[in-house]
Order: sequence, then C-alpha cells, then structure tokens
Amino acid sequence: MKRQASITPWPKPTGGPHPVACHFCDTLHEGSAVPEGSAARCRRCGVLLYQNRPASLVRVTAFSLAALILMAMVNMFPFLSMEANGIKTELSLLRAASELIREGSVTIGWCVAGFTIIAPLMMACSMLYVCGPLLRGRAAPGARYVASWLGRTEPWNMIEVFLLGVLVSLMKLGKMAELHFGVGFWAFAALMVCMAAAVAGIDRNELWDRLEVAAE
Amino acid sequence: MSPPTPLPRAIDQGLANCEICGKITPVVACRCPRCGAALHLRKPASLQRSVALLVAACALYLPANLLPIMTISELGDVMASTILEGMVEFWHRQAYPIAIVIFVASILIPIIKIVALVWLCAAASGKVHPSPRILGRIYWFTELLGRWSMVDIFVVSILVALVQFGAYMTVTPGPGALAFAGVVVLTMFAAMSFDPRLLWDRLEIMKAAETPPPTLDHE
Repeated sequence: MKRQASITPWPKPTGGPHPVACHFCDTLHEGSAVPEGSAARCRRCGVLLYQNRPASLVRVTAFSLAALILMAMVNMFPFLSMEANGIKTELSLLRAASELIREGSVTIGWCVAGFTIIAPLMMACSMLYVCGPLLRGRAAPGARYVASWLGRTEPWNMIEVFLLGVLVSLMKLGKMAELHFGVGFWAFAALMVCMAAAVAGIDRNELWDRLEVAAE
Repeated sequence: MSPPTPLPRAIDQGLANCEICGKITPVVACRCPRCGAALHLRKPASLQRSVALLVAACALYLPANLLPIMTISELGDVMASTILEGMVEFWHRQAYPIAIVIFVASILIPIIKIVALVWLCAAASGKVHPSPRILGRIYWFTELLGRWSMVDIFVVSILVALVQFGAYMTVTPGPGALAFAGVVVLTMFAAMSFDPRLLWDRLEIMKAAETPPPTLDHE
C-alpha cells in the first residue's frame, strides 16, 4: 500500500490540551494519544472513552461504499418471493413500507421506511461524504454539519432487526407457501455486515479531531 | 483501588462535554466551537423528559398488547392476532426457539426497558440508592436492546407485503401495531434523554451528606 504513508495516524488539533470527559460519570481525563488498536478507559467507571481503530478512515470509506452498492442491489434484485395457489407475490424493502401506507397505516409505514431505507442510506452517504475527502486530509464542504447528523441517525438504523423480522416471518409462512430467496436477500445480509463494520470503523473523537485538523 | 485524590469532574470546572462531537468547552460558550451543537453541563430537563416519555410509553403498552397487530383473512374467515397470540401459536406448533425470540423481543424487552428506566430515574432523583456501576450496566443494556423490539412491526410489514392472495388469504395491519411502534420509539427517546451522569451526581451529594464534618478528636 503506497498511499498508506499519506494517511496520517490520528492527529490532534493544534493548541491547548485536549481533555476528554467520560460521558458516563463526567470525570475529566487528559485525552492523551493511544497506540493504534488500543483503547482508553475511564479511571473512575471503566467505560470506554475512545479507541484508536486501525486503518479507520480506509475502513469506513470502503465499507460505506460497499454498503451503498449493496443497497442498490437490494432494491434492484428480487428480495423474497412467495407462491401460493398459483399467485406469486414479491417482497422488497420499498414494498414492505409502501404496502403498509397503502393499507392505511401511514405512520408505521413511514417508520418502517425510515428505519430500513432512509436511515441506512443517510448514514452510508454521510460516512462516505465525510471520510472520503478526509483520506486526503481535506474536509468536504459542510462536513461538520453532515457528521453531526451521523451520530443522531445511528440509533434509528435497524437493518439487523429487519433481518430478524424476515426470519420470523419465514417461520410463520414456512408451511403454507413456497418461498424463494433472491439475490436481494443475500445482498441485504451483506449490507447488514458492511453497515456494522462501517459504523464501528472509526471512533467519534477521532473523526472530529480529523475534521478539526482538516479545517485548520 | 480508589485513587488517593478525588478525580476531577468536568462540571466542577464549568466544562461541558459536547454530546455530538465530544469536545470539552467551557459551558459559557453556549455552542460547541467544533460542531455547533448547543452545550449543556447535563442533558436539559433529563429526568422530566424521561419520565414524561415513560408515562406515555406505559399508556400505550396496554393497547399495544391487547389490540390486534394484524388481521389475517383466510377464505372469508377473519382472524385478528395480538402479539401474545402470535407467540402462543408458535409455541403450539412446537417452534420453541422462534416463540422465545418473540417473547423476549416483544414482551420481555419493553417491560424490562420501562422498569429499568423507572428505576434509573428513581435512583437519579434519590428515591433509591444510586449504584452507578450496576445501574450504568443496566442503562447500557436498555440502550442496546431497545431497537430489537421493533421486530414485530417489521414482521407485520413483511406479512402485509407478502401475503396478498386476494380472496384466498390477505393480511392487513391492525391498530395494535401503531401502539406497539409507539412504545418502542417512546422508550428509545426516554433512554436517549436520560443522563447517566445524574447517578454519579446523586452519589456525590449522598457522600457529602454522609461524611460528618471533620473533628480533631482522633488525631
């Protein structure tokens, strides 16, 4: 990897000490640098303060790009189809939400769309938008704004829960019809893994320190 | 293992920990210089918000479990199914693992979450002893598990989309689904607005009240 050298290890913004406070017990710490692969824990309560993930930016960029491609695949290829009495019905993420809206459950329909389509899409796009230019040490225009929404969206990304929902539904339907898994389903399973890897790829403190350094 | 000197707290020095980006800034700055979020020493009105959201979640808990989350019409037979009935049906069909998954995700987790958050709020306001280490674990657990309760809503959405066979068999969403989604979302917001640092604050206050004023009798 030739370009590896250009990606600096976790930089610290210039000027002043950069203390860190435990979000759990409010204890102040110096916030000194930790070697790649290790973590700093709170002296009072032992909660994780920050973690220096190996190859953080590269990982986040790669996994969020993969997640975007997989999202396109999930929506392009058949997800799950079912055949009973000669009638064939198909499931897709979009249909799971839109059928609810069509049946009159507008609020839940939008919740499902938000948790399984909008939140993951927003997260993957914003991670790519923020971390991609950071690879070259630059901050994209409005990157701070995008990054501040990244943390707020995170709890609402529920693709892994949806996958469990698919499994429970399969058990419910198993005996009454013939079910076929499409490419979309496997893409969805891979999407879950990529999203989890991208989210876990970079520490929040590192991301913001990098953004601050890039803006200097 | 306790350190000789008390560990410094950010609040004692008037420093705020930005909720969005984690930068430490004097709270008088009002806005975080790094990400622009509003700065607070503690989450604003944390207990009031958590309790209000919990009361709303409790109010929705009964309709969520008593009203049908979906209606299955099979050859003219209309059958409404609540969350509990769905679980019992799996149990009777000897699909024990899936029955247990539904029981844990849809019935146990919401109850545990509501009870845990009520306990956390009571501890933070000094009604019960705040043991930050154990309660902190519980808080972390409720934040982690909360989302998995949504599984039943997703099952409804999948069945509604998939089971559309006209007169032969159709599934339509029921009113219980909205109430159940409400319980999950409200408890998630309640967990987000709770500030675990309040537990440690309460402990400090209790310690300060317990320590008698220093006397010169023994020295």
